[in-house]
Amino acid sequence: MSNAVPPSTSAIQTTAQAEEPQRDSSFWRYLGAKLGGAAISLVMVVLLGFFAFKLLPGDPVAKIARERPMSAEQIETLREQYGLNKPLFQQFFDFIGNVFTLNFGESYVYRRPVSELIGQYFWPTILLTGTAAILAIALGLWLGQRSAWRHGGMFDKIASGVSLVFWSVPTFWLGLILLMVFGGTLRWFPTGGMRSPGAPTDPLGLTLDVIAHMVLPVLTMVAVVFAQYLMVMRSSLIEEMNADYLTTARAKGLREDLVRERHAVPNALLPTVTLVFMHIGGLIAGAVTVETVFSWPGLGKLTFEAIQGPDLPLLQGTFVVFSAIIIVMNLLADLIYRQLDPRVRRA
Amino acid sequence: MASPSESAVSATTMRLATSGFIDSFNPFTSIYLTPTNALRYMYENLVQYSAEDGSPTEGLAESWETEEDGARWVYKIREGMTWSDGEPITAEDVKWTYDQMMEDDLMGTANGSLVSNFESVEAPDDTTLIINLTAPQAPVPGQEIPVVPEHIWSEIDNPSEYPNDADVVGSGPYILESYSPNEGFVLKANPDFWRGAPSIDQLQYVYYTDNDASIQALRAGDIDFISGLTPQQFSALEGEEGITTSSGEGRRYTSIAINPGQVTRDGEAYGNSSPALADVEVRQAIRKGIDSQALLDNVMDGQGVHATSFVPASYETWMLPEDDPSIMEFDPEAARTQLDEAGWTEGADGIREKDGEKLTLTLQIDGSDPTEQALSEYIQPWMADIGIDLKVEATDSDTLSANTTAGNYDMYFSGWSLGPDPDYQLSINTCANLPTDTEGNGGTTQDGYCDEEFDSLYEQQRTELDHDARVELVHEMLAMNYTASVQVALYYPNQLEAYRSDRFENFTKMPTDNGIIANQSGYWGFMDVTPVGESGSGGGSQTGLWIVIGGVVVVAAIVVVVMISRRKKSADIE
Repeated sequence: MSNAVPPSTSAIQTTAQAEEPQRDSSFWRYLGAKLGGAAISLVMVVLLGFFAFKLLPGDPVAKIARERPMSAEQIETLREQYGLNKPLFQQFFDFIGNVFTLNFGESYVYRRPVSELIGQYFWPTILLTGTAAILAIALGLWLGQRSAWRHGGMFDKIASGVSLVFWSVPTFWLGLILLMVFGGTLRWFPTGGMRSPGAPTDPLGLTLDVIAHMVLPVLTMVAVVFAQYLMVMRSSLIEEMNADYLTTARAKGLREDLVRERHAVPNALLPTVTLVFMHIGGLIAGAVTVETVFSWPGLGKLTFEAIQGPDLPLLQGTFVVFSAIIIVMNLLADLIYRQLDPRVRRA
Repeated sequence: MASPSESAVSATTMRLATSGFIDSFNPFTSIYLTPTNALRYMYENLVQYSAEDGSPTEGLAESWETEEDGARWVYKIREGMTWSDGEPITAEDVKWTYDQMMEDDLMGTANGSLVSNFESVEAPDDTTLIINLTAPQAPVPGQEIPVVPEHIWSEIDNPSEYPNDADVVGSGPYILESYSPNEGFVLKANPDFWRGAPSIDQLQYVYYTDNDASIQALRAGDIDFISGLTPQQFSALEGEEGITTSSGEGRRYTSIAINPGQVTRDGEAYGNSSPALADVEVRQAIRKGIDSQALLDNVMDGQGVHATSFVPASYETWMLPEDDPSIMEFDPEAARTQLDEAGWTEGADGIREKDGEKLTLTLQIDGSDPTEQALSEYIQPWMADIGIDLKVEATDSDTLSANTTAGNYDMYFSGWSLGPDPDYQLSINTCANLPTDTEGNGGTTQDGYCDEEFDSLYEQQRTELDHDARVELVHEMLAMNYTASVQVALYYPNQLEAYRSDRFENFTKMPTDNGIIANQSGYWGFMDVTPVGESGSGGGSQTGLWIVIGGVVVVAAIVVVVMISRRKKSADIE
């Protein structure tokens, strides 16, 4: 509750200066522990990535060869090409040996190195989810603090209600509805992809074309996820609402808006920041659905196609990359939380 | 400012939605449907399939004859043809292509089985090609295999790894112009094509991961052609302005496979099918208990053709005729009688029993496939009606494929797409294609069927050069397989397609009367397509663009105003 010492920004600085020598060593120890934890998680993910997909039933080659007039010999040749005739443990050691040089092998479907494919599909995903994350966070936090300040009021009821409705809606469905209304029927926005085929290549034309393609997928992602930011911000601000320091601020004659913005919100942001980072990881994983609906050429779509293959090297690659992004985001959350909250630092 | 979509999409560019995988555009190794279709457009074959009915017709060869009872084929290559870079096309190019596939396993990845009967290929002069076979064959050799230019491909160091997605030199109606792996690819009309250049300049394939999204793209005019619709999607598009739908007899059959008990080539049994199914009487009773016409009408919305055997109706000559004496009608009463006579008598609970064993079978379905779910909902009560307790077990497609390979099934839904010559599909119903081990590996059998008489008929039809006599033999084989009932062909699903008829017309179907446009065995579908005047379908995305720009400007203005007003109020002090 609000009886904990409320650290204002200036308080953080003073504490930091006062404990400078101590902070140094404990900071590195903390960083080391967190990095070690992240590294262990990553190793586990890599191991899991290999075996989980090897355990998948079915034979990729049989699936690829199905309904093609292929002879048993041709199928055997393919199996050799993919290294599937090797014993499992040897495939495992090959995989481990390669993975630390970021080599996930060659995709069955695309016949190209997985790392090259991931490199190519990585940035569109970052562009899409990054934009969606920034907008969702901004919208969620702003609505959240407004709702909390007059919680129970009309604004709160509408904002919370609407956001929760969108949050409960399946992403796939919402995407398709938006696509149908604004793409198919009204024709305001393109129906898929990142660029129109043969679109202008000058920087302005290209940028505008990409933005037009981003509107619907970003809208879908923002609509579905902004509720979680709103709710976190709202509840942490409500917790701060009766704090003594707010009474002090009001007593100084500050306008209500300034009391909220300068005093209450910075304190409420503390728990919010960590959650924001944790949710970004989830948002990137959620890209699979949105990218599939809008044919966005990103990692999510690549994963979706790899599952259908099943393109094992590609699946392993995207699995490791998605997991790594989530692990890094959690690590950042830990570090930033410590930076913002002196209580964590002292502990 | 010019709209991006209008300046780029001229009236003679047709845009097609595609969702298929592309491994490469290498004609020797590419095995996925989408690039295989593109390769059909890019490289002419020695012998082509006709649009009328898929029968052999002129390709690079303008005529051919057989010697030594079909063990030696002599082709006359048309004079004056050129590759798209202007070099002449000669018999030497064909020989080089086939030699690569015969000598190198990797170069035979895609079409190796089509040259496995080749002993040697000769090119005595530029316009004569001779194929010597190890054994006579009736299906014309040289179909289906893309022929590549030797002067280009012999210069490539590692041709089986070559992606072939830039600077392509080809001989077909369209040549690959550009490929962007995550967005699509473009085929450009080949003015040097020996039948004459196609009427439209470009085919632009655009990736749509989701089928419903591509339907919206068609409605919006973002694309002009779409194939592979479900019956529900198809009927939703019917009557939409500017769009024409086409329901064509396809290359597929849908069947329900019935496991008679699997054996390896050496006769070793494997798999765990119900012993009751080893009895042909039980399998036939199941066939008689299934109303496949009702399935076609209700599940497929009537979009298909009632099936006889595994050769679809689009190959009319080869299909087992509806009036063949082997055909069994839907007749539950006859099914019950047949089961009675086979010793399966009805128990107190309505389920038949024999020697204390109940007649309980399992139908495995792919739970993610709504069609299989719908089919099973009809079949289950029909089986109960004839006294068979059918359990429906939903699983995922990978598990299903693993189970069926290992012979661990009673019944499951199966199906194949066929080429115009039934030889390959017949071959995978011979004993020679049973697996070599008890895990189901080393063979490509369709349903685990094996019958020596069928095998000897197979050899006969393969060498029968008289077309009518060969058709007779094939019908006889299909009837045998029908009677054995290791599978019940339910229907031949139509391929459902739709296109912007306000922009394009004159699509060529294969077969011509009632066939399909995309995914043909030939290259006819878009060859004669012509644009229908000008149309403003490009305006849609421009509107969206201006809305975005407007939105950005408004937001920016608001931010600026707010910032300025904040500045003024910052006189508030703490």
